[in-house]
Amino acid sequence: MLETLRDRRTLISTILIPIILFPVLMFGMSAVVMTMMKKTEAETTQIAVIGEEFASSFISFLLEGDDFQKVNVEDFKSALKEKEIHAALEFPSDFEKELAQGENSEATIYYDGAEIRSSIAKEKLSGELKDYQDSVVTERLRERNIEKSILHPIKINKENLAPKEKMGGFMLGMFLPYMIVILAMVGAMYPAIDLTAGEKERGTLETILVTPVSRLDIATGKFLTVLTASVITIILATVSMSVSAGLGLGQMREFGPEPVSFVIRPLSILLLFLLMLPLAALFSSALLSVSLFAKSYKEAQSYVSPLMFVVILPAMINFIPGIELNWGLAFVPIVNISLAAREVLLGTFHWEFIGLIFVSTFLYASFSIFVTKRLFEKEEVLFKT
Amino acid sequence: MIVTKNLTKIFQDKKRGEIRAVDSVNIECKPGRVFGLLGLNGAGKTSLMRVLSTILKPTSGTARVAGCDIINEPEKVKEKIGFLSSDTGLYHRLTAEETVSYFGRLNGIGEDKLKNRVDEIFERFDMNEFRKRRVDKLSTGMKQKISIARTFINDPEVLILDEPTIGLDVVTSRGIIQFIRESKQANECILFSTHVMWEAQKLCDDIAIIHQGKILEVGTLDELRARTGLNDLDDIFVKIVGE
Repeated sequence: MLETLRDRRTLISTILIPIILFPVLMFGMSAVVMTMMKKTEAETTQIAVIGEEFASSFISFLLEGDDFQKVNVEDFKSALKEKEIHAALEFPSDFEKELAQGENSEATIYYDGAEIRSSIAKEKLSGELKDYQDSVVTERLRERNIEKSILHPIKINKENLAPKEKMGGFMLGMFLPYMIVILAMVGAMYPAIDLTAGEKERGTLETILVTPVSRLDIATGKFLTVLTASVITIILATVSMSVSAGLGLGQMREFGPEPVSFVIRPLSILLLFLLMLPLAALFSSALLSVSLFAKSYKEAQSYVSPLMFVVILPAMINFIPGIELNWGLAFVPIVNISLAAREVLLGTFHWEFIGLIFVSTFLYASFSIFVTKRLFEKEEVLFKT
Repeated sequence: MIVTKNLTKIFQDKKRGEIRAVDSVNIECKPGRVFGLLGLNGAGKTSLMRVLSTILKPTSGTARVAGCDIINEPEKVKEKIGFLSSDTGLYHRLTAEETVSYFGRLNGIGEDKLKNRVDEIFERFDMNEFRKRRVDKLSTGMKQKISIARTFINDPEVLILDEPTIGLDVVTSRGIIQFIRESKQANECILFSTHVMWEAQKLCDDIAIIHQGKILEVGTLDELRARTGLNDLDDIFVKIVGE
């Protein structure tokens, strides 16, 4: 245990990552995304205009602020391709004339859908065109003495009845179970490799085997050490997540008009933790078993890496919309925990599922521990040459 | 005291099939004597010693080590032996003192007696100088001392030493040889394997030559000399193994 605590790799993966990851994800990511979006929005959009003389009033309206800058190019298509401009606007020769006569006209925006900036330019341009269109409509209605409100006979009100905490849980419910499941695995990974293949490599496994301690006790000791590491990771991840969720509130609010709160109930956190315990035991024993086959640390890493995918894929179940917990899924390891963790974070408690998942994961873990124990009794595995 | 009876260990290898690493071995190591096990690499020395220290289970036959049966009482055997080999490593991230205390606890020494026992060991092997330092920061010689201290923590009746001097410098190997002599004086039973002939010639009271899992000859150096008509142990060894 002490030996494990002094392993830098273990320290980083068990303690540092969960503590740092959540604040970084919540603050960092949202901050970066928002800065990027603001920056892009604030940037001057370079456009080319074809048939400028046919829409001079709109163009002067468009170029009033700093938002758009007109660039003169010979061929707008190649200019767009070379990223000299973000978008191009084309007006027909009778654009202003038709509008003035109360007729309909058209305008074409050329953009590159595979370029984010070009797409943003397209949105901005069509927004400006709509504003211009609105002003034309308003003008026409005024000429005919008609109230503008006639265009909107029904006012549509939308009210979100989901409590704030559910909104928070909804967003967190997708990511957090995934993150915690992965972290429970990562937290157990290095100690598991170190205590088996690592010890084989350094010869300490043989030293331990000649002490009057039974194989079962050795296996148990190693299992408990790995489990402790995994549980510490889970606790730290849960605490860090709750704290950064609380602090992250203000920032996330800016994303949408809906108020979002990240208040997670203490009961949810407790249940999440309880659900994670048997899963951590399952990971710990599975990782020990797999890495016990390896002769060296490196070999064990290559055995364990594919396991990571086995964990990541089912943990991503919450990203698929419309999948709900049911009796069948409650028996699928990892998937069941991820789904239940989301429900719990949302404040929904299906006790029969939670109980079933706890028991089934507990059984999987027991089986896996049994396998680990058997492996520790096999000479071929311990002394593989 | 070590007595083996038709001790056999067979490994199943996918490529090479059945390997008789230890083949019907009958030896007797007495207290106060050093029993040398001589053999080429892969002769079965390590397997035999692992079976005797109960890390491996014999395929057939049995042995009594310090009065306990290796099959039925493996934990008791481990309490009474000290096992040291070039493969038994130390935990690098523990200090010298933590290492010795840890193995003391694993050997069932109670916390009340542990402190005294550790002090005694550190005194005996002159290790107080690096007591609080981490193992990975120590020289090979210091590490070897800790390994010996670790082997001695349970005051063993029988010492099983598998090529303990392999890969060590002259000074460190001399330390180990000195320690084997002292243990002999203390009336311990020592099983010692090597492929360095002069070490065996200097140290061993009884010598067994093991080849392909089988004990080809056992006797004192003088008996072996008489049987082969040769003087140097390496000549004797080559003659016996080569035949």
